[in-house]
Amino acid sequence: MSEDASREEKLIRAPGDLVSRLKEAANREGKTLYNYVAEIFEQAVRAYEMKRNLKYVLDVYEILEVQKEAGAIFTPRDILEYSVERIHQEDDGTLQRLWYQTGKWYGVYLKEKSDYPVDAFIRLLQEGRWDLNEVTVKRNQETLEFRCISPLASQERTLLLRNFIEGAVHSLGYRTLDQECFRGIIRLKFSPKALKQETPHDSE
Amino acid sequence: MARVDLADKVLEIASRRGTLYDYVNDVLEQAVRAEGLGLQLKEVLDDRWVIKSARDAGFTVVPEKIIYDLIKDAYEKLGKRKMIGLWYETGQWYGKYYEDLAKFEGSVRRFFWDISEFKISMENEHVTLTCLSSKFSETYTELFGKFLEGALNALGYIIDEGEVSKGIISLRFVKSKGK
Repeated sequence: MSEDASREEKLIRAPGDLVSRLKEAANREGKTLYNYVAEIFEQAVRAYEMKRNLKYVLDVYEILEVQKEAGAIFTPRDILEYSVERIHQEDDGTLQRLWYQTGKWYGVYLKEKSDYPVDAFIRLLQEGRWDLNEVTVKRNQETLEFRCISPLASQERTLLLRNFIEGAVHSLGYRTLDQECFRGIIRLKFSPKALKQETPHDSE
Repeated sequence: MARVDLADKVLEIASRRGTLYDYVNDVLEQAVRAEGLGLQLKEVLDDRWVIKSARDAGFTVVPEKIIYDLIKDAYEKLGKRKMIGLWYETGQWYGKYYEDLAKFEGSVRRFFWDISEFKISMENEHVTLTCLSSKFSETYTELFGKFLEGALNALGYIIDEGEVSKGIISLRFVKSKGK
């Protein structure tokens, strides 16, 4: 570290390549490097005061952008719950297939958008807030396991969420090995290699 | 060179996380990353709370294909009256939740990305609301219109006149007496 204290300014050492890129960015925005860097540090301090770091905040922002681009929207939870519960009672499997197919679409979309689509999907579940309070993932070469907790979700919506996750993970090249689904709790275990024919569970 | 107050704060944060050099490196890398995405760090941080505040207000994220199909299905199976009542009551809840017209307007703008234009303007005792979305189906437009009507009703405005057709909601309200 190299600091030269003056009355109002200090020197902070930084990698030359980054400084060059920041100079270019500052020029593009018509700002001095000094002001541009000050703004960056102001935001870094702000992120810290939010108990986050800039990387995390940018990651979450990117997920929000993925949601927007993928056509996900916010809707009042009560309306969603009510409609799902009532329609599910008479559903012939259409609703379950719709969630599964939408999940598959997300999987394909993430494959196009990301170099690491499985990681992107996990982050989407963790930070994209499908009303999931907790998403834990265990991953090794043989298996990929999800455990999702959503105390707010009804039994019907839990099943639909499971179908959505299955659809996405199937299109990311995995097949279902095992699954458990209770109200608000989803546990899914996958292994690589897609099934020839993937269908959602429609026995429930 | 950096402003001394900022530099001191950065030093303090860095001392809790490792070396100053690594911390500065990390911060600047993220700034370059944001710049590469065409973003300003300030706007990224401003949006940081969108998901949380939407969730706190009882909104949930759903793929639009699912919600539009589901709503259409529910409208047909559960009946127009039931669904209109549900959306109106939900709107009333949000009106009471936000307690303020400007806050409600801001939240609709922030959370409903599928709306291309949303404007509420006030003139004396009257409020004019315009909501446009090319994505809304006819059914969804009708129900969302009721949601907005319910919210404004809870905020003290009674509908005076309105026009609702696929993707277009144009409503005029008058301040209710005693509010």
